[in-house]
Amino acid sequence: MFTSSFLLSLTTFVYLGCAVLYLITWIFRVRSIGFAATAATWFGLAVQTTAIGLRWVESYRMGYGHAPLSNLYESLVFFSWVVIAVYLFIEWTIKNKVIGAFATPFASLAMAYASFSPKVEDAIQPLIPALKSNWLIAHVVTCFLGYASFAVACGFGFMYLIRGDEDRDSGLIGTLPSRKNIDELIHQTIIFGFLWLSVGIITGAIWANEAWGTYWSWDPKETWSLITWFVYAVALHVRFVKGWAGKRIAIIAIIGFISVLFTYFGVNFLLSGLHSYGNQ
Amino acid sequence: MTKQSISFCDNPVWKFLSSVRLAIVLLILLAVTSIAGTVIPQGETMQFYLEKYGPNLFRLIKSAQLYQMYDAWWFLSIMIFFAVNLIVCTINRVPITMQLYSRDFLDVTKERLLRMSASARIALGSSEKSVRVVEVFKKVAGKSRARSLAGSELFLVESGKWGYWGLYILHSSIIVIMVGALIGSLLGFKGNLMLFEGETSDVAVERGSDKNIPLGFTVKCDDFNVEFYDNGAPKEYLSELTILENEKEMLKKTIKVNDPLRYKGITFYQSSFDSAPEVKFHIVSASGSSKDLSIPAFERSLWKETGLQFGLMRFLPNVHGTVAAHIWIGDEQNEPQAIWFVQGREKEFTFGGNLYKASVKEVSQRFMTGLQVKKDPGVWVVWLGCTLLIVGFVVVFWVPHVRIWLWVGEEDGNIVAIIAGQSNKNQIAFNKDFEKIKQALRSSIGE
Ligand code: HEM
Repeated sequence: MFTSSFLLSLTTFVYLGCAVLYLITWIFRVRSIGFAATAATWFGLAVQTTAIGLRWVESYRMGYGHAPLSNLYESLVFFSWVVIAVYLFIEWTIKNKVIGAFATPFASLAMAYASFSPKVEDAIQPLIPALKSNWLIAHVVTCFLGYASFAVACGFGFMYLIRGDEDRDSGLIGTLPSRKNIDELIHQTIIFGFLWLSVGIITGAIWANEAWGTYWSWDPKETWSLITWFVYAVALHVRFVKGWAGKRIAIIAIIGFISVLFTYFGVNFLLSGLHSYGNQ
Repeated sequence: MTKQSISFCDNPVWKFLSSVRLAIVLLILLAVTSIAGTVIPQGETMQFYLEKYGPNLFRLIKSAQLYQMYDAWWFLSIMIFFAVNLIVCTINRVPITMQLYSRDFLDVTKERLLRMSASARIALGSSEKSVRVVEVFKKVAGKSRARSLAGSELFLVESGKWGYWGLYILHSSIIVIMVGALIGSLLGFKGNLMLFEGETSDVAVERGSDKNIPLGFTVKCDDFNVEFYDNGAPKEYLSELTILENEKEMLKKTIKVNDPLRYKGITFYQSSFDSAPEVKFHIVSASGSSKDLSIPAFERSLWKETGLQFGLMRFLPNVHGTVAAHIWIGDEQNEPQAIWFVQGREKEFTFGGNLYKASVKEVSQRFMTGLQVKKDPGVWVVWLGCTLLIVGFVVVFWVPHVRIWLWVGEEDGNIVAIIAGQSNKNQIAFNKDFEKIKQALRSSIGE
């Protein structure tokens, strides 16, 4: 009765609910709702984790078992899983629920897109030979750890811009973390994401080398991941060397995530190349 | 620093090449120009670009080599420029790092300690307590160095100083990767090889130039198989390969996608496959002798007794529901002929004055494996660079240089302890540790 696809649909609605609850928490500042939001998010994460595990088991039952990381649908599910996990970790370490209003929407949108877009095929499919590699799993997991961190950094970027130029302590904006703290959060999540993106690009290169005999072939997806990597390398250098912080870094965090989105979707739908997730 | 090296660093060209501003500009330039090659399809024919983009854009594409952008001289120049920038910048920083590295942090005044953001004064009162505080400090904070000053004593626990070299590991990793790529492109090759089942080769065909590259040994395809899922999608491509040297079998392996064969620095990847028809042919001469022959594509089959040769010229898989084959027939003396046969239907013909009856009995597929053949002696250098990149990154961000001081001495006639600390990164974690040590000191004297 509890199939993975049922549980994943449930997850979609739970995450949408979480995003709404966090927004209400932020706007109306009701503590108990904040508590409910956190509880619902943990619940959503538990359901989604079960669903991913179940999907894995189901694929074995269908006779072509593989980790559920092999197509656009599964990668979107995993992306939202990481966003939630990273967010809950941050909430737990810095004890601020307002951030939820800026992070959980990314997870809900990803799940909603995966569930409702006719472009995204959600059936469990057998792996074509090129995708049968442990490096592929390492590649997808690490890339999406990076992408999800960048999503959260982008959320913080918006948060910073909303906070504006002065630290007001009243009203809706007053409940946000201080500008200095948001700035630090952006920086930390970018560092975390940059590390995982680097590992993701490297494991992808190892995989390509095993499958095709070239670790780098400048195909559009590879190139776009490198472009994204350059954007964040710029973010690290302007901060460290020129002392840029605050608004400018917030804007780079947003530009960086646009580049991530293009690497993720744009390449599949607009350009052609080896990574044919989107064309299935 | 010597005088000479100062003037060297003041050189405007050196200054320009070592500036991070240039690095940022080059990173942005690389990011922006890279986009072009993802939008314009790479490696197509000139005809393709002319049709797709029209004459004006075509001229731009051609002159700026946008059809193979990542090999274009201007793109490679930006890369080289970037590499030079990185090298010069790295060399330029060595003196600064050396200074940081060799600074004596015991050379610090009490006043400076008190000005640090993490610092606290603990009143001790008795020298007995001061002994205890020092003991606890050594136990909790770790291995310390000490220096006695006039009427006071200073202890320092320092860790993670080597982390300053992380940045060098990280930045040089980029150079290592580039060197690895260079080695690969200078000393390696990329080629293809199509092998029928049973066929051997001791060369590969270079991609791009179609030149034959000797392998130095022989590779044989013993068998090729494709497996399918129930839904018709391919499940696995498998080639059984044997490596032969002087006709001696050296290595045997079944390769599949993601599982290549390596021998003497050359790697064989499963990349594609093809198949060609093979016709089972039955022929009877007027004198009554008959023969069953197998005629594969691209080869001649010989009927020894008569000297007749057969070849498969064309093959149509579906002519009114059956198979048709165009068979070439020849021998040493006579004008060759080509005759169409439909599977299962006998046909009579004369060749060299003799009458024959023949038929195509069966058509099967003969598989051919498509291998990618690669030699890349630089690939291990690239992997080394990648490892250094990750290690360097982790060191840069997660190995902080932490210094914790304990000053014990007399201040206005009272014995006091001053604890202070600094870290160059991870302030939150550092503050936690610092608080812990502070609390331990406080509780050791019963506060
Ligand atoms: C794609 C290649 C590069 C990567 C991945 C990279 C990475 C990094 C990282 C992660 C940091 C540390 C930033 C921080 O601590 O917040 C850094 C710092 C730095 N990088 Fe790069 N970098 C690259 C290229 C360059 C180039 C070409 C230069 C040449 C000018 C350069 C110069 C510097 C300098 C001067 C610092 C500051 C070091 C300090 O003051 O401690 N980097 N780089």
